Amino acid sequence: MRLALPASAGAFLTVALAVSSPCRAQEGTWALTNVRIETVTRGVIEHGTIVVRDGLIQAVGADVTPPADARVLDLSGRTVYPGIIDLISTLGLPAAPAQGARGAGGGGTPAATESTPAGLEPARMIADEIKATPADIKSLRDGGITAVLVAPARGAFRGLSALVPLEDSLTEQAVIRSPVAENLGFDGVQGRYPETLLGVIAYERQAFYNAQRQALLLDRYRANPVGMARPPYDEQLGALIPALKGNLPVFFFAKNENEIRRAVLIGREFGLKLTVVGATEGFRATDALKSTGQAVVVSVDFPKAPEVTGWQYRWTERHTPGDSAEADSAARPVIEGNAAALNSAGIRFALSSGGSLHPSEFLANVRKAIAAGLPRDVALEALTIRPAEIAGVGAQLGSIEAGKIANLVVTEGDLLGDSAKVRAVFVDGARYEVVAPPPAARGRGAAGAGPAADVGGTWDISVTTPQGSNPATMTVTQSGTSFTGQVTSEAGSAAVDNGEVAGNSVSWAITLNMAGQSTTITFRGDVEGNQMRGSADIPGMGSASFTAQKRTP
Amino acid sequence: MKTCQLRDAKLRGVVAALISVVAATSLAAQSPAPFTMPVPPAAHLVAITNATILTVSHGTIPHGTIVIREGKIAAVGADVAVPAGAQVIDATGRYVMPGIIDEHSHSAVEVVNEITNAITPEVRMADVVKQDMPTIYWQLAGGVTMIHVLHGSANAIGGQNTLLKLRWGLPVDSLFFEGAPPSIKFALGENPKESNFQTFAGHPRYPQTRMGVEEVIRDAFTRAVAYRTEWQQYEAARRALRRGQAEPIPPRRDLQLDALVEIMDGRRLVNAHSYRADEILMLLRVAHDFGFRVASLEHGLEGYKVADEIAAAGTAVSTFSDMWGYKLEAYDAIPQNAALLTQHGVVVAINSDDDERARRLYQDAAKTMHFGGASETDALKMITLNPARILGIENRVGSIDVGKDADLAIFSGHPFAPASRVEMTLVDGRVFFDRTTAPTLEHEMQQLQEQRQHRGPAAAGRGAQ
Repeated sequence: MRLALPASAGAFLTVALAVSSPCRAQEGTWALTNVRIETVTRGVIEHGTIVVRDGLIQAVGADVTPPADARVLDLSGRTVYPGIIDLISTLGLPAAPAQGARGAGGGGTPAATESTPAGLEPARMIADEIKATPADIKSLRDGGITAVLVAPARGAFRGLSALVPLEDSLTEQAVIRSPVAENLGFDGVQGRYPETLLGVIAYERQAFYNAQRQALLLDRYRANPVGMARPPYDEQLGALIPALKGNLPVFFFAKNENEIRRAVLIGREFGLKLTVVGATEGFRATDALKSTGQAVVVSVDFPKAPEVTGWQYRWTERHTPGDSAEADSAARPVIEGNAAALNSAGIRFALSSGGSLHPSEFLANVRKAIAAGLPRDVALEALTIRPAEIAGVGAQLGSIEAGKIANLVVTEGDLLGDSAKVRAVFVDGARYEVVAPPPAARGRGAAGAGPAADVGGTWDISVTTPQGSNPATMTVTQSGTSFTGQVTSEAGSAAVDNGEVAGNSVSWAITLNMAGQSTTITFRGDVEGNQMRGSADIPGMGSASFTAQKRTP
Repeated sequence: MKTCQLRDAKLRGVVAALISVVAATSLAAQSPAPFTMPVPPAAHLVAITNATILTVSHGTIPHGTIVIREGKIAAVGADVAVPAGAQVIDATGRYVMPGIIDEHSHSAVEVVNEITNAITPEVRMADVVKQDMPTIYWQLAGGVTMIHVLHGSANAIGGQNTLLKLRWGLPVDSLFFEGAPPSIKFALGENPKESNFQTFAGHPRYPQTRMGVEEVIRDAFTRAVAYRTEWQQYEAARRALRRGQAEPIPPRRDLQLDALVEIMDGRRLVNAHSYRADEILMLLRVAHDFGFRVASLEHGLEGYKVADEIAAAGTAVSTFSDMWGYKLEAYDAIPQNAALLTQHGVVVAINSDDDERARRLYQDAAKTMHFGGASETDALKMITLNPARILGIENRVGSIDVGKDADLAIFSGHPFAPASRVEMTLVDGRVFFDRTTAPTLEHEMQQLQEQRQHRGPAAAGRGAQ
């Protein structure tokens, strides 16, 4: 079961390539000299040299002599770290899984062989689907991230994740490891079974029981097929068998305490090698997390206070103005102290952006976790060697050691300090210089909004949904931080409502008549010069990504 | 919306208390300790003295003492001595009754219904319990100590129910009432046949009639019979296995049919949402055909029409006191239902089916005396011992007897007197609700005023300390 690539996606890729970054990869043999090296696994070399050849770290040390053919980079005053590995990402995946068709319910257990909608596809091979734009890749890489583990953000059975390097020419050949894990979550499929948490848990348990039996049948048949009916081929069930046999980890997306406990119970029932992913409220379930015997992937996309159990009840039926501020101030130290609490409890974990934080926000939140008590060196490990180990690539990635893949981050200042600046990133030995963006184009998180970006003019927009790419044209008249305009597409024309610019963040809405219903689509994006990208929230369909290019006047 | 404001006020007090806990935690340590809600200490030895004790099982003790050891009732009577070292609760002028058991609740869960299939016996309410919902605390304030959380009624065969003790503030695993017989929800009539809503807009879901509801249930049990046979044959083949022979291959495990086999084997209780006399008789026939007993008819508003048949089937009825006419199948409901069924030997419970009504179940029970002439003891049983009997836990809860769990509600007056209110609620002898320390509107206003006077608006966000 693979999602077919819509025909129009090709055109979309062409557009995206045309706007690719100004910093092209520089390949070759490198010698990084006079640099401070945080190897992570072998301590700090205050003044050393790293030789990079053929995509690998050839040598590292204080007394390494650069080879004659190497391009020497004098990095005095800079520090080199292993590249950050982020284990939660949807890079290059379609915005949202298409919702299943609403069908007749009927009785009976869902047959294992019935067609599998998005979100119920254990065999979904993510490595085959990643279609990332160089701009998306660059955005992450400029924040010091060199590899991401890609899996869908929603679904009960989300498929088999892939660890990919953040290089511009990202192709399937570049994939570091696939499959890394089978990915599970608690999201139902709207309009069919299983729709709710009740059904999802039952569905997952039943699927594992089905897979257990399938494994038994296949083993018997392989051992001696004579006189035995051939077990039916089932791609989806087959994908669960390695997980059941402990040969493939299961990454279970679970954020709050109750979700974590539910995931751990399922893991225990089927003897899964269970990695809890998310765990933003892990501090309330340290016993459950410990019981898995596996490391945890901890998102620093901190939950809003009402999303957290224990105090959630304070908001469930109250809407008094000012409540949320009061609550945040009380709850924040606890929420931000999650990683510190897990560390104190002796739980090993990787830190992750959670999939939706901009890299600058990601590191800003890691700093908050450090401020809340997480030792800085543990945080650095949790961004490098620990995610590498959790993804099963500890021998290839995650530290600066001879023979490992040359994924490196060069910074000015401590990567985890307040004033860190990423200056260059190496991915598979290729060097990408990071040019400091103009102040207006900084990330939303740390730097604040800044002056409003100039969005006036005519934009060519491409909205990518699972059904394909939809072109549109938008004319914008800006007045300070607000704007008006008109969007024209095949579907007709609509006025821009609520157009707002805050720094480089842009948002607006349009109301269309879709299938007889008035539907308001909300756009949120970031402007960078003549480029814009972001997501469009389409009620009933989920969210779709869009890119836009401003026409030159 | 007066009740809402009141609830808000109570909540605010709890909020203030919580915030001070959080603030203290964050000040005390750089790395914050796991957040916990304030919970009462476990009670090892408690004595409730000078109380009017409504034992429910053996009459009223006008001036008695209850001794609680490690959460169980150790002694009850007029001449019981208070053991040395006991924590004494002086209940002079107060009435103590067994903790109220709400046999039909949908509280404290994240989801109520997996609506997408006509039968969903594989889903489990225990999977979706949410232990921090404020309704738990408010129900404690209404004397409720245990709730039977049912799956919704959109499916002819619904999900597996769960039984919770309202141990407010404790971790989710602590709320389950261990060892109770498992149960499951069935539903007949308008809800499973989509009379008043449509599961999939524009696509009617089978079944659409009461005939279809019966067929869905019969079909499921017919498949369950075949499934049980399959497993029996497999077990027999395994037992007959001789050395050197290959192990037989087990049948596919089916979580839906597992639950139905448990029903037929008498290991899972059926709580069947039903209204009309005809559908009640239909289900009793189906149950007879497949060899199981229906533990309870939920609502069963026309139960009075077929009381003898219900009694003969050994089935109980868990009903409303005086709700009728809210949909077509509720037109023939009468407020004498509970009393009439009791007269015919049916075990009757009064339930809430609702977070709010759950807080006043004692008044609903009293109505059965007013409308149907039920005795005081029978009315009390309808919210204590009878739900316990329906759930198969009457030897552990439901009355004030030695050896039972010390789940108790202490009222300011007789629970059936209109002005009485719950003063204190104990679960396992532990005081989970105490009106003297419960947040009040006055307390809340006072705190807000103090904040404004002493700290100014900027500091108000820190909350009361």
